[in-house]
Amino acid sequence: MKKILISLLLLSLLASESFAFCGFYVAKAGAKLFNKSSQVILVRDGNRSVITMSNDFKGDVKDFAMVVPVPEVLKRDQIRIAEASLFDRFDAYSGPRLAEYYDENPCHPPQPVKYSRSMSGINRKSSMIPMPTSVENKDYGVKIKAEYDVEEYKILILSATHSSGLEAWLTDNGYKIPSGAQEVLEPYIKNNMKFFVVKVDLSKVEQTGPFTNLRPLQIEFNSPKFMLPIRLGMANAEDSQDLIVYALSKKGRIETVNYRTISMPTDREIPLFVKTEGTFEPFYKDLFDRSYKQAGRQGVFLEYAWDASLTQPVKCDPCVGPPPMITDFQQAGADWVSWNSNEQSGKAFFTRLHVRYDRANFPQDLIFQETPNQKNFQCRYVIHNPPYDRTFDCAAGQTYLRKLQKRRQDEMAQLAILTGWNTWSHREYLEEFSGQIKEETGSLEKNGLGWMIIAGAGLMALWGLVRRFR
Amino acid sequence: MQSQTLQAQPTLIESLYRAVVKFYRGDARHFQITYLFSFLCYGILALGWEANLLKYAVIFGTCLAVQALGLHLTKKPMSGLKSALITSLGLCLILKANLPVTLALAAALSIGSKFVLRYNNKHIFNPNNFGIIVTMLITGDAWISPGQWGSSTLLLFFIGMLGLVVLFKVGRIDTSLAFLGTFAVLQFAKVVLWQGWPMDFFFHQFTSGTLLLYSFFMITDPVTTPNAPKARILWAAGIALVSFILTNWLFLHTAPIWALFFIAPVTVFLDKKFKHKQFQWTTS
Repeated sequence: MKKILISLLLLSLLASESFAFCGFYVAKAGAKLFNKSSQVILVRDGNRSVITMSNDFKGDVKDFAMVVPVPEVLKRDQIRIAEASLFDRFDAYSGPRLAEYYDENPCHPPQPVKYSRSMSGINRKSSMIPMPTSVENKDYGVKIKAEYDVEEYKILILSATHSSGLEAWLTDNGYKIPSGAQEVLEPYIKNNMKFFVVKVDLSKVEQTGPFTNLRPLQIEFNSPKFMLPIRLGMANAEDSQDLIVYALSKKGRIETVNYRTISMPTDREIPLFVKTEGTFEPFYKDLFDRSYKQAGRQGVFLEYAWDASLTQPVKCDPCVGPPPMITDFQQAGADWVSWNSNEQSGKAFFTRLHVRYDRANFPQDLIFQETPNQKNFQCRYVIHNPPYDRTFDCAAGQTYLRKLQKRRQDEMAQLAILTGWNTWSHREYLEEFSGQIKEETGSLEKNGLGWMIIAGAGLMALWGLVRRFR
Repeated sequence: MQSQTLQAQPTLIESLYRAVVKFYRGDARHFQITYLFSFLCYGILALGWEANLLKYAVIFGTCLAVQALGLHLTKKPMSGLKSALITSLGLCLILKANLPVTLALAAALSIGSKFVLRYNNKHIFNPNNFGIIVTMLITGDAWISPGQWGSSTLLLFFIGMLGLVVLFKVGRIDTSLAFLGTFAVLQFAKVVLWQGWPMDFFFHQFTSGTLLLYSFFMITDPVTTPNAPKARILWAAGIALVSFILTNWLFLHTAPIWALFFIAPVTVFLDKKFKHKQFQWTTS
């Protein structure tokens, strides 16, 4: 944490503009918050795609199987194993964040600190597929195009002529295929796609001891199609599933072309108690749920978009986790990112998309495009602490307290709008400082007099009108 | 006195109604402007687009300025500025860019093409289409978000209805239906009959707001479409065929927009082959 704060400070010192003040990250809502979620890292460079699929398989590894439609027969060097920690780093970097600020006490303003100006940021610029589980060839119409042993995985690349044959082949060879898979497989076969079929090499798993976590698999291919096949995963699932996509590209944001890409509500001021241990995560979960329903359960949500180029001084503001480093980019497959003299070599744009899909509302696979859109975006929610020193005797202090009360009312309303929470149980939050607000007798009298004059003038005007029309 | 006001009220509403009807009947562009403006409002208010007033102002300002200059040089009446409003709204709905100057370029190219790229008193390219494609090609800073409308069926109803009203007025409904019909038949044959995708896969594509808006607004521009109804149907079917090829073999997500760019100039030949009266905006 210390490290993060130091890097944040350094980054802030580099930033010369001072539109907003920098908040410290206090909580985050990570990808693991959502049930049935999978994560994918998607790298796109021209027609080249690199897809890294996180593996959160729980259960007996001998039952594990994965079928992914791919556009070509992959060669051995197009298949790699990635570190699971890469997902944790990307998740930590791009997750929704809570930024915390301290109000100043107007009665006891702090001594000016030299670095306070430079603390400012420039923020204002602002699936995995089904889990079904050897090799004999009857008349299935299935051909094994390639066969690889990649560390703990046994991988086959299949081509098929009809879906019933492919389904039968997979079942006969011990892959547990969900019912209804045949119908879903057919269009991919007709589209001349190949099938990347994976299971776990049990002998290697035993050698390395109890294998609770399978490592992510990474595949690379060249194809004008820039898509993620999600439909196979819905073959036997009625419920919705969450998918987080971390996309890396050269130019700008990645967005879906066949579904709406919707920005999550952001930069909202919410009550201080959301900071309390374990409240921010349910807050974001309910916020997402509400946004998803409001969008008719059909949208793809933008949670983060930032220029993460090596030369970019502010890669996040506030930072939830350290920004991706050159090794992270390379591990993810964004191998153009390097410190070469070439201007393009350090460019990378990071997009995080969150989609909750189900069979009824997502009839097509996710199709993406890379846009030149370089606008930064983050899911940032702001809380304000009252000053440490809580004596508000001066006139400015009283004005502050009244503003504070108004702000807290707005924060509560915002919380209710965003999450649908009943805020009644937190009404003490509104009352916290009401005891310290002194009655403003002088100004009340003044206001009262003003109102009396207006009312009197109004009455006289009315009287004049009545007399005239009589 | 009270009875007087009671009598006056219906005449006021009536005269207002008559004025509105006269306003819309007099010039089909009035309908189009209302229609496109309501979509821009829908996008910003209901779909939560990132509205940037500066960028919109740049588009409107450039379009109107270039149009005024063009009208002045060609000594045409200034009522032609209404067309510039339609072009501006079209750009606001379709094109996005990082820099306002990119949008100014698109606006200038769109309107400029109307005055420069002409043949036989008609535009060779659809103005919006020309501006959008050329700007995307030369700047690399502009893009289209085909997913921005989503596939809501309610929207389908509204776009369809509003589109129909506008088109019956302009008389180009044949173009929209010929395009949508041909494209739908080709897509249905490939996606459902050949590849075996379920029907909702097919419907998802044809309820896309972007496709419907394009079909009812962009390709129907009466100054770019062929004059004879037969020629229009051939022309629209040609755009559908090219869109089909670009969608399925080149994986272009904005295929119809590119198809229109390539097919639009064919109008010149179609007008020679099929003789018909030319369209006039104002009926009065």
